[in-house]
Amino acid sequence: MSKLRQTAERAVQLAQAAGAGAATANAFESREVSVTWRDGKLDKVADATAVGVAVELYVDGRYASVSTSDLRHEALVAFVTEAVSMTRAIAADPFRALPDPLLYAGQSAADLAIDDATYESVTATHRLEIAKELEDAARGVPGAERILSVTTSCSDSRIASHRVHSDGFSGEKCGTSFWLAAEVSVLDADGRRPEDSAYAGSRRRSALPDAAAVGREATQRTLSRLGASKGPSAVLPMVLDHRVGGRLLGHLLAPLHGAPLQQQRSFLQGRLGQQIGSPLLDFADDPLVPGGFGSRHFDGEGMAARRFPLLEQGVLRNPYLDSYYARKLGLPPTTARMSNLAWSLGNHGRDALIASLARGVLVTGLLGGNSNATTGDFSLGVQGFAIEGGRIGAPLAEMNIAGNHLTFWQHLAAVGSDPYPYSAMRTPTLLFDDVQFAGT
Amino acid sequence: MSPSTATVNRVGYFARFGIDEGAIRATLATALGRGAAFADLYFQHRVSHSLGLEDGAVNRASTGVELGVGVRVVQGDQTGYGYTEDLSLTSLLRTAQTAATVALGVSHHAAPIALHVAGDLPQRYRVGLPWPNVGVSDKLPLLTDVNARVFAADSRVCKVSVHFADETSVILIADSTGRLIEDTQPMTLLVLTCVAEHGGRRESNHMSIAGRSDFSFYTPERVARLVQDTVHKTMILFESSQPPAGQMPVVLAAGSSGILLHEAIGHGLEADFNRKNVSIYSDRIGKSIAKPFVNIVDDATPLHARGAINVDDEGNAAGCTHLVHEGVLETYLHDAISARHYGVEPTGNGRRESYCHAPMPRMRTTYMLPGPHARDEILASVKKGIYCENFANGQVQIGAGDFTFYVKNGWLIEDGRLTRPIKDVNLIGNGPKVLEEIDMVADDLAIDEGGWTCGKDGQSVPVSQGMPTVRVGSMTVGGRG
Repeated sequence: MSKLRQTAERAVQLAQAAGAGAATANAFESREVSVTWRDGKLDKVADATAVGVAVELYVDGRYASVSTSDLRHEALVAFVTEAVSMTRAIAADPFRALPDPLLYAGQSAADLAIDDATYESVTATHRLEIAKELEDAARGVPGAERILSVTTSCSDSRIASHRVHSDGFSGEKCGTSFWLAAEVSVLDADGRRPEDSAYAGSRRRSALPDAAAVGREATQRTLSRLGASKGPSAVLPMVLDHRVGGRLLGHLLAPLHGAPLQQQRSFLQGRLGQQIGSPLLDFADDPLVPGGFGSRHFDGEGMAARRFPLLEQGVLRNPYLDSYYARKLGLPPTTARMSNLAWSLGNHGRDALIASLARGVLVTGLLGGNSNATTGDFSLGVQGFAIEGGRIGAPLAEMNIAGNHLTFWQHLAAVGSDPYPYSAMRTPTLLFDDVQFAGT
Repeated sequence: MSPSTATVNRVGYFARFGIDEGAIRATLATALGRGAAFADLYFQHRVSHSLGLEDGAVNRASTGVELGVGVRVVQGDQTGYGYTEDLSLTSLLRTAQTAATVALGVSHHAAPIALHVAGDLPQRYRVGLPWPNVGVSDKLPLLTDVNARVFAADSRVCKVSVHFADETSVILIADSTGRLIEDTQPMTLLVLTCVAEHGGRRESNHMSIAGRSDFSFYTPERVARLVQDTVHKTMILFESSQPPAGQMPVVLAAGSSGILLHEAIGHGLEADFNRKNVSIYSDRIGKSIAKPFVNIVDDATPLHARGAINVDDEGNAAGCTHLVHEGVLETYLHDAISARHYGVEPTGNGRRESYCHAPMPRMRTTYMLPGPHARDEILASVKKGIYCENFANGQVQIGAGDFTFYVKNGWLIEDGRLTRPIKDVNLIGNGPKVLEEIDMVADDLAIDEGGWTCGKDGQSVPVSQGMPTVRVGSMTVGGRG
């Protein structure tokens, strides 16, 4: 039996011995290593192994969730015992229980390809070489004489966990990830020092792109920001680059979760089955994408992971619901949190979407801003480029977009063919009509 | 008379986890073993509790225990870092070996033979009854009382949630100069969320109060103010709309408007960015960057403030740092690495989220000192603009200088008067330009008590901010129409 499984089983037994009617425990161990390289020399190395256990307690109809990194036996005994006694002091909640065990059944047997067996063979020297290669490539781009500083990094992690429930559920997870990043600052004529970055990540080391390409992209992106200025306030079409679309989409999906829906803090409440976006808005939650950053066989409650539609041709199909809020709302649970998104893609990439516009804005960066989950109003800082005659024009900065999600997504006019590979949301480039930009 | 080092263990709190001077000296010796000039150990034991009220009952509780040590090895401006949650000597030495690989030579620096407790720390957050001694049942009435008061305050309230948190973090810093520094850092936070329904529409808002304090923080006045503010700032949303888009004068209310300083200048003055030459404020020390009545500080000293510290996470003294004095940029915010780079004293801004992270320059309590104008005078001076009084979040690009902050509640100003409430609008500007555009500063400085948290490079630290009423000549308002 693995050490993680032993820790989790011990925690569940301690909870039951202390008086919990039911309990779950998730024991984890992670290793994360990173090398940061800056302007020709090593800047930082970090290497850390972390351990811990998270325990959920169901005591006389009461609920608590606790976690500790102090796994010494006596410490764990005292910790769990105190936690059970703390739980007894709060109010009972009839909606708290372990999930229906039927929902544990039916786990996919597919290989998710998220655990790279070669992880242990990555060496410190290898990481250093990659970090240097990133910088060399960043400095090899025409225009590099404007560079003030280049910071690159090569990092990787492996996280293993084992989840045990007092009703018999037991399951383990293990996943690796590997990341390359390069950040470049350049000097602008007026003294501003625009910075931008490029990065790439993968569950498997062999699937990472060439480090030199990432380094070059960082410098190219940064140089393209030189001379950026504020454009006029206007209502224009917007091409949203696939790297940044996930943030805007996150504001649409946050109110689709159990707590905001049940607590009446969601503009999506009561809209299941309704058209909330253009027919092109069409994606599912898919936990079984090979190599996906959010891929999993079971979720945080042990429920077997399965694909389900979120939006079908603009119609809202399912919320994200854990078993607790599902009981409170009287609906079947789906899962508490997003895994990966699988989009119905269009036929054209970003360049073709840009070429389709006589005038518009290509948004390549979002800066701050927020979204009101209760009403759907949002306002976000943006930067990017003017689009004129189907081509990318002058760089724009210090601008803003604002709208309401319930009308904004109805204006989705095209979906790209290019899901962003370095995020679980896998957002393609999106084209919107009639977006309110604020500037001069 | 000082006791001899051989017989006394000066390790205080962490002795209970088996840590003694011998283990610390051995770990530091290993950390310096590849030739690095400096090493430090950061032990931390943090116990946190939280309670949640939803649908009328306190029906969820949580606790968290974090115990570990971070080992940092510094060679010039290069850093090696590792941490472990296993405090056995074997594990400490292994972690030190890993961190030591940042240096690639042989040892030139000996570990300290004697450790000494470094001076008396100031006491900025003394508590009566420590949080670990406060039982759940003592805390419950606070949450249920707040819930009842919010429902009683307005019949349009339909949902209330209350989140209460407390934590006690004990840290021990030991470094290769022989210093031992221990501090106990309490924190508490209460977040109130209110949802209301009116005329077929729903609105919600939330506010928080936080401080490094004990349970006595929750005075009847403070709790009543939180309830009143949250209910008021929710109900007014029914009459509010997003303002028009475009450039206009912006008046910032006293208090949490300090978020502007945090984003427009605070981050840009963190010396790590300047050492790397990537901040828009690089090379601007000694230059005039604002009107002479603009004075900005970053202050570790406000008693019981969320952003107060007795000592920074590198063991350096933390006081009140003048960033901008009479419009002139005075200093960056330094950690030990940047202070050495610039040949100055550290400013006590070396902070970290926990033992899992290496310290870096971070803000504490950032605010602008009072100025020569009056609030009424400032409002009266604006023909058409907006007044911002409640904020959600902000962000900045260090090099380009562009920054944003999100206004949750505010007012349209027309002909010098507050005419119509506004909501949910992001403001965007460029740091140095906006500082130049601050043309009026009132005498009504207020330090906000909200539960602000600052994020940088994946690390979150608690901060505070404050502001007198201020006018900015022009900013871009991300509204509609």
